[in-house]
Amino acid sequence: MAGHTRPLRILLAKLGMDTHTVGVTVIAHALREAGMEVIFTGLKQTPAMVAAAAIQEDVDVVGISTLSAGHTRSLPQLAQLLREAGAGDKLLLAGGVIPEEDRPLLEQAGVDRIFTMGSDTREIVDYLNQWWSRQPGSPD
Amino acid sequence: MHRKGSALRRASQRADTMSTEDHARAERGDQQRPSRPGEAAADATPPDDGIAAAAARWQAETRAPFVADNPERRDAFLTQALKWSVNPLYTPADLEAMGFDYLRDVGFPGEYPYTRGTGPNGHRSALWTMTQVTGFGKGEEWAKRARYMLDQGLSGLILEHDLPTTNGYDSDDPLVAGEVGRAGMALDSLEDLEQAFDLPFDKLQYLMSVCNAPQPVNLAMIIAALEKKGVDPRDFVLHIVNGILIEYTCVGRYIYPPEHGLKLATDCIEYIIRHHPNWAPISIIAAQLQPAKANPVQEIAFSLAIACAYIDATLERGFDIDTVAPYFHFVVNVDMDFFEGVCKLRAFRKCWARLMRERYGATNPAAMKIRMMTSPTTTALTLQQPLNNIGRLAIMATACALGGAGEHMTTPLHDEAHALPAEEAIRVGAALQHIVAHETGVADTIDPLAGSYYVEALTKQIEDAAFAEMDKVFEMGGALAAIRTGYFQRALGREQYERHRDIEEGRRKWVGVNHLTLEEEQREIEIFRLDEQVEEQQIARLRSLRERRDQAAVDAALDGVREAAAAGDNLLPACLVAVKAYATHGEICAAMRDVFGQYTPDSQLAGV
Repeated sequence: MAGHTRPLRILLAKLGMDTHTVGVTVIAHALREAGMEVIFTGLKQTPAMVAAAAIQEDVDVVGISTLSAGHTRSLPQLAQLLREAGAGDKLLLAGGVIPEEDRPLLEQAGVDRIFTMGSDTREIVDYLNQWWSRQPGSPD
Repeated sequence: MHRKGSALRRASQRADTMSTEDHARAERGDQQRPSRPGEAAADATPPDDGIAAAAARWQAETRAPFVADNPERRDAFLTQALKWSVNPLYTPADLEAMGFDYLRDVGFPGEYPYTRGTGPNGHRSALWTMTQVTGFGKGEEWAKRARYMLDQGLSGLILEHDLPTTNGYDSDDPLVAGEVGRAGMALDSLEDLEQAFDLPFDKLQYLMSVCNAPQPVNLAMIIAALEKKGVDPRDFVLHIVNGILIEYTCVGRYIYPPEHGLKLATDCIEYIIRHHPNWAPISIIAAQLQPAKANPVQEIAFSLAIACAYIDATLERGFDIDTVAPYFHFVVNVDMDFFEGVCKLRAFRKCWARLMRERYGATNPAAMKIRMMTSPTTTALTLQQPLNNIGRLAIMATACALGGAGEHMTTPLHDEAHALPAEEAIRVGAALQHIVAHETGVADTIDPLAGSYYVEALTKQIEDAAFAEMDKVFEMGGALAAIRTGYFQRALGREQYERHRDIEEGRRKWVGVNHLTLEEEQREIEIFRLDEQVEEQQIARLRSLRERRDQAAVDAALDGVREAAAAGDNLLPACLVAVKAYATHGEICAAMRDVFGQYTPDSQLAGV
């Protein structure tokens, strides 16, 4: 990760009434173990709350864990809110239970990468490390 | 603490043979297995005992040469959740080394410490009650499904509510769009329950309702609906789960800060004991800790510490332990490690009995006999190759039965991971319990695995480790303190990660997931698609109710709820007035939120 003097910073979030946290917990542990800085929003967030937290915490990546049917509504909303706030450059990831047929809609709406249930945590870590190494070095 | 015997000292000398997992646990101060029986067989200096010496000879002369030529198929044999190493052989010497005493540790069925069962005759006089979970959509849909299940020979039902209800919101709240009627029945007002209770109450002996954070509201609605139906509350058992502390620990459906959650739960316990003494006011659902990857030791220790928090709060309301303890009820899952499952159930009974006697000085046998429902866990089931799940369920249901089953057993459905339960899956699920009960013989003698050297050793190890972990929680101030500092949550978070890696890195083989996988299999998950109609109809009904009802009466009743909350009164009387005035579930929850505030734990407190 040449060029970076600080670790990648990621915000993990749960939207709506979806309280399934095992997946997001596993991801949080794996990313921390890989040296990344992980912030968790807590449960029952709205897209507006997550966008505000992403900006306030100045994260590089936003990861949404969704095991509920609401992702086709909430994820495009979140992407839109981030763009409106001038934070469209943040990497937006989604994971959990996301049917194949929803991918085009979400990708078009601005979700950069989808990791469905059963994804290997090592694959996610590799993906983030590679993305981070392609980003310009951070000033701080 | 229990006597640990010489095995413990031997265990400490053998630290060099600990696995890396053991070392990791030791560093964290996690549950340590207090004794490592069976190592007598491989120990260089066995005690002067006939069987231990013979076992050492067998090891040296018979087993070791064989293993030298036929290396073991794994580097380490570990139990699934606890990751305790499993010895190649258990003999009476192992039990002796750990100070096992039949009369003290096991005893007789129906007598202290109830390791062999709380009843004196196992399942020979009556089988366990066979139960299945139901609840989705609107009230009348639930009633239709419930009638079908009663016709299949089930006598008890579980009513689950959707996430808007369990989180304290009405169906028309913008925050819950897309969730109405999805994970359970939507409950907005007394009207919904009036429709749901279109049931043959002569066949229904038992109804369990799951609605933790808004429990006083839910309880008030059920009482009012039964009154309207003219059902005599003495004729069947209403069982409320009332399990808010586990919501804070791992499930997440909380509304108010933990101390207020505990207070509301205690209100319900007090109300039921005083007004409906034949009902069941609380369940500790260890079966929610298990899917959050609590290992058997954590399941027992966290569950019982949580039970103590409710007990202590209830005793403060002027009851004595011998009255309160018999009201406590536990739901315990069994996972695929057969022996961890069986031994956990046996140890659970004994730990409760010891806790009631040693911590509270209970003298009433009913206080020391744990009341328990068991269930195969859904977390062992796979999306892949779903028919395999029938095999898994049969094995887990057998383990439940061999572990004592409890008064009730409930079986999840083999296609649960795919979609909402279909009628064929319900029929197979019900049949499965009958197959275990009638075709296998496991219910024909009492506690048939007792006396197995392995089963008795593992039972005792789990008991000892659970007591040590419980003591740790009590030292930090009990379950409420453990929740408020995030201790439970972080402990489970670590387990979740470690157990996930076991599968990812292939240490645990799981058919269909990382073993015997089918390349061509369609791995697509069938997600429940929102039936917009259910949500629209539910919202329309709610809005029509708001127009029809006496708004002044509702406003006054909601003020009454706020006043009772502020005064620290039991919330049940005020909630009863409110639900009978057709104040909605979400409105009453919001009135309490005005007083108690809302709970928003951070990362540390969420264990993420």
